[in-house]
Parts: sequence; C-alpha cells; structure tokens
Amino acid sequence: MAEILIVEDEIPINTLIRKNLELVGHKCSSVYDGQAAVEIIEQHDYDLILLDVMLPGLDGFEVFEKIRGVPTIFLTAKSSLSDRVKGLTMGADDYLTKPFEMLELLARVDAVLRRTKKEAKFFAIDNVTIHFDSRQIFWDGAVIDCTPKEFDLLEALVVNRNIALSREKLLNLAWGYDYEGDSRTVDVHIQKLRKKLGLEERIITVYKLGYRLEV
Amino acid sequence: MKRKTYLLTLVLFLLFFNGSILLITIVNLNTSLNNTRSSCLREHDFITAALAKDLNALERRGSAAESALSSLFGSYVSYYGKQNVYLALAQNSQTLYSSLPPEQKLTKTPQIPPVGQRIISTVASPDRKYISISGALPIPYDTYVFSYYYDLSEHTDSWKQMTSLLFLIGIAVSSLLAVCLILLLSRIFKPLRQISEASQSIASGDYANRLPVTGDDELAEMAGSFNNMADAIENQIAQLAEAAAQKQRFIDNFAHELRTPLTSIYGYAEYIQKAAITEADKLEATGYIMSESHRLQNIAYRLLDLAYLRSGDIIFAPVVMEELLQSVSETMYAKAEEKQITLAYESGFKLLDGDRDLLQSLLVNLTDNAIKACISGGKVNLKSFMQDGNKVIEVRDNGRGMTDEQISHVTEAFYRVDKARSRAEGGVGLGLSICELIVACHGAQLSFVSQLGEGTITTITFYNSLTSR
Repeated sequence: MAEILIVEDEIPINTLIRKNLELVGHKCSSVYDGQAAVEIIEQHDYDLILLDVMLPGLDGFEVFEKIRGVPTIFLTAKSSLSDRVKGLTMGADDYLTKPFEMLELLARVDAVLRRTKKEAKFFAIDNVTIHFDSRQIFWDGAVIDCTPKEFDLLEALVVNRNIALSREKLLNLAWGYDYEGDSRTVDVHIQKLRKKLGLEERIITVYKLGYRLEV
Repeated sequence: MKRKTYLLTLVLFLLFFNGSILLITIVNLNTSLNNTRSSCLREHDFITAALAKDLNALERRGSAAESALSSLFGSYVSYYGKQNVYLALAQNSQTLYSSLPPEQKLTKTPQIPPVGQRIISTVASPDRKYISISGALPIPYDTYVFSYYYDLSEHTDSWKQMTSLLFLIGIAVSSLLAVCLILLLSRIFKPLRQISEASQSIASGDYANRLPVTGDDELAEMAGSFNNMADAIENQIAQLAEAAAQKQRFIDNFAHELRTPLTSIYGYAEYIQKAAITEADKLEATGYIMSESHRLQNIAYRLLDLAYLRSGDIIFAPVVMEELLQSVSETMYAKAEEKQITLAYESGFKLLDGDRDLLQSLLVNLTDNAIKACISGGKVNLKSFMQDGNKVIEVRDNGRGMTDEQISHVTEAFYRVDKARSRAEGGVGLGLSICELIVACHGAQLSFVSQLGEGTITTITFYNSLTSR
C-alpha cells in the first residue's frame, strides 16, 4: 500500500509498529536515531513518516524541520500537551501518544494516507474490487448491490485487515458510537457479506474475539 | 499605634500648654494686684497724713475745720479722680463726702476700722471692682474715717485681654503642633510601615523584597534582622522549589521509563491476540514481552535499592581493601574479557571502614560504567591510595569520556549519557544515583574528571574524620 518510515529509538516499539503496519500491507523501514532518519529520507521517498519526538542526537522536531514536505505523524512518549501542540503547529499531520493501541495507530495512519496519497483508492481481494471513493463493490467488474452499512463494515475489515476486530469494535466502526444495536447485527451483516462476495474463506471467525479479514 | 501616640501626645501637650498659660497669667495678676495694693496703701498713708496736716493748719489759722473740709476734700478728689481713684470721708459711720459716682452703689459698705488700724478689702459695685482701704485720720481727728477706692476695671480688662491673646496664640501653636506631630510621627513610624508592607509582600510570595537599612539605631537593627530572616526564607523556598523540581523530574522520568516497556508489552500482547501471525512472529513478540518485563523488574529492584539506601541504616566494619578490589575485578572479569578490555587493580592501603556489600556494589557499578565507556582494547584501572591523609578509591578508564554538562546530570535518576547504548546494554539509568547514595552513606565524596575521547576518572574520597569512627 504505502511506504512508511518509522523513526523510533526504542527497538521493541519500533519493531512493534513495523509489524502492525505490515499486517495491513504497508511497506516499512526502521531507523533508530534522528541523523539516520535525515539521511535515509534524502535517499528515498516515503509516503509517511512516523517520528518519535524524543530521539538521541537530533530530536523529532529537528528532524521534522529538515524533512519538510513528507507527511508526518509524531510519536510523543510524554503525553505532554506542549509537545503535541508544538508538533501540530509545526505542520505535522497528526500525533500519537504512547502507549497507543494497534487500531488507533492504524486508523491515524490510514486517515493521513487518505488525505495525502493521490493515487486511486481501491482495494482488491480474490474476485472482489472495492472503490472507496465511489463506495462501490465489483465482482469481476460487475457492480454488486450492497447496503451502506454492509459497505461500512467491509471497509472497517479491509482497513484493519489481518487484525481481529471484536463485534463491539465493528459496531463502533461501521454504525458509530451512538448506535445501540445488538452485536448480533454484526453477525448477520458478516454472513451477508460472506455470501454476496464469496469471502467465506477470507472473513474468519476468531474464537471469542470477533472477525478478521485475512489477506 | 500611631493614632494613639498622636492623640495622647497632642492631648498631653494641650493640657500642659494651656495649664501653664493659665498659671502664668494668674501669677502675673496676683503680683500686679499686690503691687497695686501696696501703692494704694502708700497713697492712703500720704493722703491721711496730708489731710491731717491740712486740717491742723486750718485750725491754727482759726477757720472752722468742718467748713473748710469740704473744699479741701474737693481738691483731693479732683486730683485723684484722674487716676481712677475715688475718695470718701466719714465721721462716726456717717459718710460726709464721697467721690464714688452715686450709680456705683457698693454691694458691701466698708467696715469701720478700729483706731490706728486700716482695713484693706476688695469691694464691688454691680459692674466694677475696687480695692478699698479705710483708716482713721491721726489724733485729734480720729473721728474721721478716710476711705480710698482704687478702681480695678482697667486691671481686669487688660488681664482678660492678655489671657484671651495668650489663648489665641495657644490655639495657633497647638494647630501647628498637631500638623508637625503628624509629620514627625509618620516619619518615626515609616520603618514600621515598611516592615509591615514588606512582610505582607513576602507572605504573598514575593520573597525577594528587602527593607532599606539606614543609620544604626534600633530600627536599622530590626530592619537588618528582618532582611536576614527574608534571606533565610528565600533560600529555604529556593531549596524547596529545587527539591520539588527534582522530584518532578524524577516522576516524569520514572513515568517515561515505565511507559516505554509497558507500551511494548501491551502492544505485543495485543499483536499476538488479534493478528494473523506465524510461529516465528509469535516467538519474537513473546521475546520482546519477556525482555521488557525484565526491564520493568530491573527498575523495581533498583528503586528498592535506592529506598533502602535512603533509609540510611548501614553497619560499618573494617573491609580488607585488597580482597574487595580482587572480588570486584573477578565479578567484572567476564564482561571485560568479552569486550577485550584489560581490567587491573592495585591496593595502596589495608583496611577501610564501611559496609562490604555496599562498597562492592558501588565499585562493580563504577567498573561496569567504565567498561561500557570503553571500546574494545580499552583499559580500566581500579586503584586505592592515601591522599592528604584521606583514603581514596579511583576507577579510571580510557573510554569515550563526558562533557561537563553531562557530568552535572550524571547522578540524576534515569539520566543516561548515551541513551540508545545504555538501553541496548540493559541499563535503567539508576546506577550512579545508587552509587552516589552509597558514597553519601559512608560520608565520602564522589567526583568525576573527564575529557571527551580521553576517558574518565571517578574518585571516591573517604574523609578521615568521618571514616575513622
């Protein structure tokens, strides 16, 4: 999907972010200090940079000054307001405070990429192609009828593919937080999607957790 | 206080001032009355004598005394009438002649004096006062009583005038005094007001406020001690603020130190639970969870060490230096070997009073830091020796070295000179904080001398007076 550079000096966290982003199909590179980040950005074009603020050598803000133009999400270890505000006023696209949850990381990355990436926004799996802009689903080139909720549900699964989503999470993502429906609504819609799109093997039921779209 | 002093002083002054004016005028009046009285007596004497002589002369000439008396008396009256003096002559209690104006009827008729004596009294008519002197003429005319009245109206008038003048002056002077007193008191009380203002501003948090010290009186002394007190307060507040700031830094750093491994542990657990992953991925994730948990555990142990040392109960016993240094270098041998670093020790004195385990932990920590600072092929030397009568232990390396800025922070909890490398080698950033506490428990001093790229010398100096207990 996108090429992302992760600049974070804590090796376990750097690896964790990379693994999560690779799950949904991004191509990631990791560097562990500010100087290395500046050097690698000069040699290579990235769609997005995840930039830790507290770095040895050059700190995150100094790196950001030098790499102007590349979409950036700051990682702030301190949940300090001043760091977040400073990052945003400098022109960063978003920030993420540690500790963060996987879905939050992916949602913010996805949001920034949608805003900044100019190429066509579609996703293909098996015979199915999903166009996010026109909100249409094609099966071998033919448009498939589906309700708006079904589309929202499929979109949530695609954005967070390879990650198990609980029924509650899916309700939140597709129906919104104020929806007071039964979580069985999700089951019904999942069944419909599986049948309509022939994704029985792709949309997996995860024991005691929910559903996962495996790619 | 100022108001009270002002009112009291003013009232007292007015009382004394007006009292003395009154006293002076009374005394003055009395003296002048006495003077008048004696001059009246003289006059009376003179007139009686003259009158007797004249009567005598008239009788010798053969004229009737009674008929001549009227014209004689008339001449005296007309002479003395100009001097506010009235005369009267009586015979056997019968007034023969009197120059007192008829409308000035006396409230009290003078008594008839016994022969050879005179009566001096003050008599009054409805609107005037007189000094009256009556006495009989000398023998053979002793049936005649001659009275002399001196009119006191002018006297009392001038006395009243003077008194009211004096009181007028008194009022003017009093008002002037009131104003001066207020100015004077404000001046005297100014330092007190300044002190009160200064203490209020200090109470409201402006600790830099000081009083001006002028002269060397009691107030200046008080201002001086007030300033000293303010200095002491300011210092203590600054110390408290510094301690609070340090504690805040500690908490911030501590939160960061906890959050970093927790972020990893939570993240990898979530990853294992939710993601479609391979067996290799799972192993890597659990590996990270375990190593980060271990890191948390390290922090916990180190914090416990710190807490234990802060409680400060350690047992002093003689420690054999040679043996201690040997034990430390044996502990660190493997690590030094692995990085191909030469580790050597040399003992310059026999015994040192202290806690063996803590001293070992201290030296192991310092040696560990020295080894971490060195590149492969470096040298680390442990040495104990006497210097100026004090026992000194020195750890010397030829590693990377530190800047002065780094040295000033090096014993602060969670501070790392080289963050990335320290974490990679499993440090939690508490080693030197613990070392400093151990050194402090022994009443010794920890100091660093370093040159970037040349190496670091860490010195522990055990001062004689403190270690020879």
